[in-house]
Amino acid sequence: MKAVKGKFFARGIHLHDEKSLSAQAAIERLTGVTEVVIPLSQHIGKPALPIAEAGQAVKRGQLIAKADGYVSANIHASVAGTVKAVEERTDGRGAKSVCVVIEASEKDETDFMPPLTNPTAEEILARVQEAGIVGMGGAGFPTHVKLKPAAAVDTLIVNGAECEPYLTCDHREMLENRDKIVRGVQYIKTALGIGNAIIGIEKNKPDCIAAFEETELSVVALKKQYPMGSEKHLIYCSTGRKVPLGKLPADAGVIVQNVATVIAVCEAVEEGKPLIERVVTVSGAGVNAPKNLLCPLGAPLSALTEACGGVKEEAVKYVAGGPMTGAALTGANSFVTKTSSGFLFLTAKETNAQEPTPCINCGKCADVCPMKLMPMQTAFYTSAKDYESANKYGGVLSCIECGACSYICPARRPLAQAIKTAKAELRRKS
Amino acid sequence: MSQLIVSTAPHVKTPRTTKHIMLDVLIALAPAAIAGIVFFGWQALVVELLAVASAVLTEFVYYILQNKIWANPKDVLSKFLKQFDFTSVITGLLLALVSPANVEAWYMPVLGGIFAIAVVKMLFGGTGRNIINPALGGRIFLFISFAAMTAYPAASFGAILTGSGSLTTGATQLQSLLGGNTATLSPLDLFLGTGVAGCIGETCKAALLLGGIYLCVRKVIKWYLPVIYIAVTGLFASLLALDINVFLPSILSGGLFLGAIFMATDYVTTPKSTLGNIIYFVLLGLLTAGLRAATKLEVVSFCIVLMNFVVFLIDGFIKCRPFGYKRVKKEKPQKEGK
Repeated sequence: MKAVKGKFFARGIHLHDEKSLSAQAAIERLTGVTEVVIPLSQHIGKPALPIAEAGQAVKRGQLIAKADGYVSANIHASVAGTVKAVEERTDGRGAKSVCVVIEASEKDETDFMPPLTNPTAEEILARVQEAGIVGMGGAGFPTHVKLKPAAAVDTLIVNGAECEPYLTCDHREMLENRDKIVRGVQYIKTALGIGNAIIGIEKNKPDCIAAFEETELSVVALKKQYPMGSEKHLIYCSTGRKVPLGKLPADAGVIVQNVATVIAVCEAVEEGKPLIERVVTVSGAGVNAPKNLLCPLGAPLSALTEACGGVKEEAVKYVAGGPMTGAALTGANSFVTKTSSGFLFLTAKETNAQEPTPCINCGKCADVCPMKLMPMQTAFYTSAKDYESANKYGGVLSCIECGACSYICPARRPLAQAIKTAKAELRRKS
Repeated sequence: MSQLIVSTAPHVKTPRTTKHIMLDVLIALAPAAIAGIVFFGWQALVVELLAVASAVLTEFVYYILQNKIWANPKDVLSKFLKQFDFTSVITGLLLALVSPANVEAWYMPVLGGIFAIAVVKMLFGGTGRNIINPALGGRIFLFISFAAMTAYPAASFGAILTGSGSLTTGATQLQSLLGGNTATLSPLDLFLGTGVAGCIGETCKAALLLGGIYLCVRKVIKWYLPVIYIAVTGLFASLLALDINVFLPSILSGGLFLGAIFMATDYVTTPKSTLGNIIYFVLLGLLTAGLRAATKLEVVSFCIVLMNFVVFLIDGFIKCRPFGYKRVKKEKPQKEGK
């Protein structure tokens, strides 16, 4: 359908998106992975319980860890081979978790679930849960939980905003797997029992908008504005509804799914394929050949950089995820998870990292805050450890941690950091 | 492999830092400073240079004393320049722009610069910590200390063309306006600054406006804040005089434009939120027009400093209303009957 112009929200920032580095690179399959390290905690909720044991031979797609409770997700082997160990590993972010290490074999044996034809709502929900699908935009909330909303929902929004700079994995998925998205939307609509679906795409991806205009899906062309991909802002800009503070999108009658998640749902239903691989953008001026790679989960970062021609000397910062919300890595010892949308290698010129100088009270952080908060007040009261006032005047608890305040700060104050501290302290107290 | 930087998100930052903003302010002040030299001759240039030099030197000396680095003088200058953010240059230049072009009283810009930086700015903690605008602090210090501060030479092109260097001093346009004499100069003369007596920077409104537009384009200040201040002052002055003809002369005379564009919008001494800023500038306008009518004096600098003290109250009054916030309605007592 013809694209509709979306609303825009007050404030927010206009970033140099740097997507041209990898936007034209078609998705390539990562080959030659000899060993994968699959963490058991790739989602929000309890870590999965391992059922594979060291020495056991596994097929591609075989269940290796079972969801522990309702808010948790199954984990499957992403390559065929032998389980080498089930042990605690530390990734580049410094997070420790139990991982299943699988040594890949030459043979490619698969163990997928049977495909479904004309599935019912219950069948789809069961399949999504079985396939271990989680929100692939970054949060990693189990999708089967999200598909059973507590309040009545009437609209599905597919999040194709991809407002983070550098990342192009969703962009390529939308171009190359358009029909899978359209069919996946049908399945999710059936599962929810609703008739309305919208895909929201930022205007900096005109090729994606044009591609979806050929389908029967309603398209909303969104203004290029950061953070358009934030759930609350996407819902407001594509439907005009505001999610009340402290409530979930379902309370506004909307459910939001990332494009990659929709594709995973489609593949799980049609091919019986569990969530064992995802597209990862490897980009930044510090990498020789930026690419979009289809990687098996648990693939080591070194394999990805090798496929992209290696990392340059000038790279001073390794980032897992987007540059605005991702996590800095201490080295190349990281691996692909269900939520890794990209790995970035940034040079000094791109990061613009400098020592903080005194706050000059310019108010730019409040001018760009999409939640209309007062980051400078939060930073001020957090430095005095007065977290109650930080919330009263700064509105910490409503923060969506988009990082716009820290981006714009001319004095380079660590505002997002102060907000995260205050949030953690307030949660710990309550 | 070089050393990796590990920090929390976001990992990219805008290239624009405090230094860039301060340089933008200096560029915006340039037209007014040059107009001052054109109108008042070399004397204005000397005053400007003296004030800037005094302000920067004061900061330098204060920096050395504060950090106790006189024992190792080798890298003092490089260390100082590394943290130097041009704020003291702005303070010095602004102080010169609100002083009369009177070289005979050369000690005034020097003492004013020292007072503005050492007492008003650095004693309170340096950049971003001062409670009142340093330049205005310096001006008020001079105003209550020296009679020469209020002796304004009249600006005219003649002074620089004849090269006589002797400038006539007299009552400013605003003083004669407040004295009940409305039509001494036309609004156009006031706007361009020809024949207007006053401080170096406040005579040529055209140059100030040019700088103000530059600041708005570069997004250093918000265009509506000075507009609110100037409009409210003019309207309230007209209301007090019950004469709309007072509007143009009252906004075009005195230091209102300089105060509204460069002084009142100083980041450090204004409220944090947009709503707070609007309240602040409306109150500032009312106070300026009211005090002008009551005291028959030019009081823009005093009004701004007075309002600087109220900033904390405004900030404490305004609470956050995040996106998606709904006002919790107070339960109304139900009406009986019906």
